[in-house]
Amino acid sequence: MKKIGLVTTVLALSLFVGCTKKDATTTAEAPSTTTTTLTNNELKVGISQEFENFNPLIASMMATTYMQRMVNRTLVVIDADGKWVPQLAKQIPTLENGGAKITEKGGKKILTADWEILENAVWGDGKPVICEDFEFAIKVASSPNVGVGEKETYTQVKSMVIDSKNPKKCTFTYDKVKWDFYQLGTLFPLPKHLEEPVFKKFGGQKEGYEKNSIYSKEPTNVGLYNGPYVLTEIQLGDHVTFTPNPKFYGEQAKIKKIIVKLIPNTGTLEANLRSGTIDLISVLGLALDQALAFDKKIKEEKLGYTVLFQPSAVYEHIDLNLDHPALKDIRVRKALHFAINKEDLVNALFEGKQQPALHNITPNDPWYTADSSKIVTYKYSKREADRLLDEAGWKMGTDGIRTKDGKKLSFTLMTTAGNKTRELVQVYLQNQWKQVGVEVNSKNEPARVFFGETTKKRNFDSMALFAWISSPESSPKSTFSSKNIPTAKTGWSGQNYMGWKNAKVDTLLESLDTEFKPEKRVEIIHEVLKAYTDEVPVLPLYYRSDVAVIPTQMKGYKLTGHQFPETNEVEKWTVE
Amino acid sequence: MTTFILRRLLQTLVVIVILSYVCFGLMTLMPGDPVEMMISANPKISTEDIVRLREFYGLDQPVYKRYLTWVSDITSGDLGYSRTYRIPVTEMMGPSLRATFILSVTSLVFSLLVAIPLGIACALKPNSKLDYTINLFNFAGISLPSFWLGIVLIIIFAVKLGWLPAGGYQTTGMSYPSWWNEVLDKGKYLILPVVSLSIQSIGRFSRFVRSSMLESLRNDFIRTARAKGMSARVVIWRHAFRNALIPLVTIIAISFSSIFSGALITETLFAYPGVGRLIYSSIMGNDFNVAMISFVISVSMVLIMNLVADILYGVVDPRISYK
Repeated sequence: MKKIGLVTTVLALSLFVGCTKKDATTTAEAPSTTTTTLTNNELKVGISQEFENFNPLIASMMATTYMQRMVNRTLVVIDADGKWVPQLAKQIPTLENGGAKITEKGGKKILTADWEILENAVWGDGKPVICEDFEFAIKVASSPNVGVGEKETYTQVKSMVIDSKNPKKCTFTYDKVKWDFYQLGTLFPLPKHLEEPVFKKFGGQKEGYEKNSIYSKEPTNVGLYNGPYVLTEIQLGDHVTFTPNPKFYGEQAKIKKIIVKLIPNTGTLEANLRSGTIDLISVLGLALDQALAFDKKIKEEKLGYTVLFQPSAVYEHIDLNLDHPALKDIRVRKALHFAINKEDLVNALFEGKQQPALHNITPNDPWYTADSSKIVTYKYSKREADRLLDEAGWKMGTDGIRTKDGKKLSFTLMTTAGNKTRELVQVYLQNQWKQVGVEVNSKNEPARVFFGETTKKRNFDSMALFAWISSPESSPKSTFSSKNIPTAKTGWSGQNYMGWKNAKVDTLLESLDTEFKPEKRVEIIHEVLKAYTDEVPVLPLYYRSDVAVIPTQMKGYKLTGHQFPETNEVEKWTVE
Repeated sequence: MTTFILRRLLQTLVVIVILSYVCFGLMTLMPGDPVEMMISANPKISTEDIVRLREFYGLDQPVYKRYLTWVSDITSGDLGYSRTYRIPVTEMMGPSLRATFILSVTSLVFSLLVAIPLGIACALKPNSKLDYTINLFNFAGISLPSFWLGIVLIIIFAVKLGWLPAGGYQTTGMSYPSWWNEVLDKGKYLILPVVSLSIQSIGRFSRFVRSSMLESLRNDFIRTARAKGMSARVVIWRHAFRNALIPLVTIIAISFSSIFSGALITETLFAYPGVGRLIYSSIMGNDFNVAMISFVISVSMVLIMNLVADILYGVVDPRISYK
């Protein structure tokens, strides 16, 4: 028996090593796992979301976008203060600085813009980043055999003329004359010198490029990256290791190694942080309630961490189905809005760390306004809610629920099942509306059913609670325009789930796209917001906050609150 | 015997084909598809993009056509491309399968090494204090939810004591001067997930061993063996335990069949990059190629391990024969 036990043990150990050897990546250092003194030698960042292949044209997951900014840069980006700034470009072309021009050809307006890439911008292998890299990216993205998500980002550049003397200078001709032509924050260049042979060989096959791209086959090839870091190791489902890119055009990164580690269970992120498995919890980590609880523990136990809260571009709201008989009456919608004490809601549920929402534009957005002369605001007033409902003919019944023509004033509030925060909000709102005689029942569905069927096909009876994320200065056309009301005829495209129709808003939104004067655009959007807040097709609830936990020694780490995350300034991170 | 095995393998193939079609059909019935997932991650995707991508991925085709395309691809050796991870399925599944195999085999071996002696000890002294104590722990092990146990283990051994890592697979960036260092490092990461997985199995296996040993020890041949003056060791291991093996073989075979299916909760809790998490995310993300390959592996393992168990019955009990 002893012999069998010994043989079994040896076999198990050999098998264990044999089976795992290929995954082991050897590097010079051997850090301890549970006790680490934080230095600039290594930083382990925890994320809770899965990541994918790093090909910037193909990748679409949030976690990949988060890490992509560490290794790849674009012509322009939105900085932590919410402003568009040049990144790989020398400057942002505008009509004012002469970099962009609108000309007429055959009675048609044409928009062109001159872009120049920074002289010292190079790929990790030392080859310069040139206009041809952008041209090649556009060519790949335009291929019918490549599954690019956001194709319009690339195809909006109809043609490109490269300066014969300077390969870093080129003129983009756009397919449409739109004011936001310079917002190319997701138009990534592809290293033509490496990827072109792959595209030539496999681009003719469906998904041939994706399968054979060097980003898939050899992701640690430094020539694929132009950012402050290069990828040195990747294990899908586990971690990615980054080391500084010595060829980076900008400020050299201070942290010698960054490991982004996937901890899929947010409930164990804190334990992983406290045990030293990770040093920092990124913005893709804790939920707000977990962050609030950990913040308290930090203060009570005097732990060496700081919880950062940053208002984000995520707008939590309730879409009202305007086809519902009771919700067709604007007075009922206004009454529902007046009956919500949003200040109390955010204080009770989020300890004031999330801001009550007035409309769909978030506070970091230059288009935001809280000016009550420009929008209609709804300060909590039970009396006003009661008055509007009385006026609309909904009389209070003996059971405390209002009725009209024998029908109860009753709605179904739907949201994503298992989302603890939303379920709490649901209960809170049910209670508030009950006080004004409105019955609200909950019906929750798994996210894929809720978004894949219910909201998409407008199958919710009356109310759908969820969130939209939008970048600053982004047109709300897809959610507000009556052309975007999903129907079977249009293949359920569009996101105006409310079924809101306002001819004036439709016209304003069309004019917004072609308005080049910033102050005029603000005027237009404020007019849209006036109609939106006045007609209440949506009940705004609160603007969500991003949260992250960093060690107190950490400096230069700044949450942005928008789609270009804090990794966009990763080179500034340092441990003191 | 050969005819029996061939017949069973043929049945296995038919079952796989039928079940894979059912599974494929069920997956298509789920609301949302990979393009929906892209939309939720990227609000800037236009209506034209949605239509184009659906067409591109063949999501606009009827189920049977999509199924036939998938079958023809896998029979030609192309397992497909993961829509979620954007890499070929073969490249993605290999490391996850290996990781899960290591976790599951270690856990199974550890469970058996602990459970068999415990079960035998209980059977040898039924209704004794030892039996009651072991049974108490067995029932506790069976009853404890693995997610709770996992969290408790993390809090005690990783956060409070700091003896073991809270999660992961290996120390990232660790260099291994020898295979022994590698075993030590990776072993450290395996301890908590293995213990978390094994506690339940130990309770289950131990109860099985106890009851089958008790039954075996009641047989006449045991009394005869004892009367012939054989040592207790020979009586227990050669006579009683061998006869108690049949139910144990069944349960081990069933446990073995799930060796490549992964342990979703344990893998998620301990951030272990195994196949359980991969299957879950592929189903949730409608990543057909990954989900279907995982499904085929799981079904095949269950059917093959049942076949293995049937064959092993004949080995452990010569009275059983196959025609």
